[in-house]
Amino acid sequence: MEWLRFILGVAFIIMGLLVFVIQLVGVYKFKYVLNRMHAAGMGDTMGLSLCLLGAMFLLGVSFTTLKLILIAAFLWLASPVSSHLISRMEVTTNEELEKYCKIEKDEEEA
Amino acid sequence: MALIHQFEWIFHIILMILSIMLMLCLIRSVIGPRVADRLVAVNMMGTMIMCIIVILGVIMDEGYLADIALIYAMISFLAVVVLTKVYTGVYQEHKLKQQKEDK
Repeated sequence: MEWLRFILGVAFIIMGLLVFVIQLVGVYKFKYVLNRMHAAGMGDTMGLSLCLLGAMFLLGVSFTTLKLILIAAFLWLASPVSSHLISRMEVTTNEELEKYCKIEKDEEEA
Repeated sequence: MALIHQFEWIFHIILMILSIMLMLCLIRSVIGPRVADRLVAVNMMGTMIMCIIVILGVIMDEGYLADIALIYAMISFLAVVVLTKVYTGVYQEHKLKQQKEDK
C-alpha cells in the first residue's frame, strides 16, 4: 500500500516537471510577447497543480494537504488575472501593434 | 514515510532540474526586448520557486513550508499587479506631456 502511494506521487511530480519543460521550450521558441503568454500560462496552472497533487499523494491525509489545496485554489483565481493585466499593459503601451496582430475596429451603432 | 527517505536521490534530481530551469528563466528575463517579456519571466520564476518549496517540505517532513509557499504566491501576484499599473500610468502621463508640448 505504501509503494502505491509513493509511485503515484512521484509519477505526478515528474509529469508536472514535464509540463514545466514544455512551457520553457515554448517561451523560447515564440517570437512575440502575446504569443509567449500562451505558453507561460500553461505552467502556472497545470504544472503547479500536478506537482501539488503529487505532493498530496506523498503526504497522505493531514493538515498540510489542506494547505496545499488552498494554494491551488488561490493560484487558479489569481493567475488568469495577472495574465490579463500583463497583456492589457502590452497593448496600451505598444505603438507598433498593427505589425504584429490584426486589430478590429469597433463599429459604432447609430 | 520511510520510503521517501530511502529514495531521496529521485527528489534531489528533480530539484536539480528545476533549478536549471530557473536559471534559464532568468536569462529569458534579461534578453526579452519588451517590458512585458520580463514580467512574464518573473511570474514563471515565482511559480517554479513555489514548486521547489513544496517538494522541499515533503522531503524534510516540515509542514510549515506550505505556508511559506502560499505567502510567496500572494506576494508575486501583488507584485505583477502593482508593476503593470505603475508602468501604464507612467506611460500615459508621458504621452500627455508630449501632446501638450506638440501643441
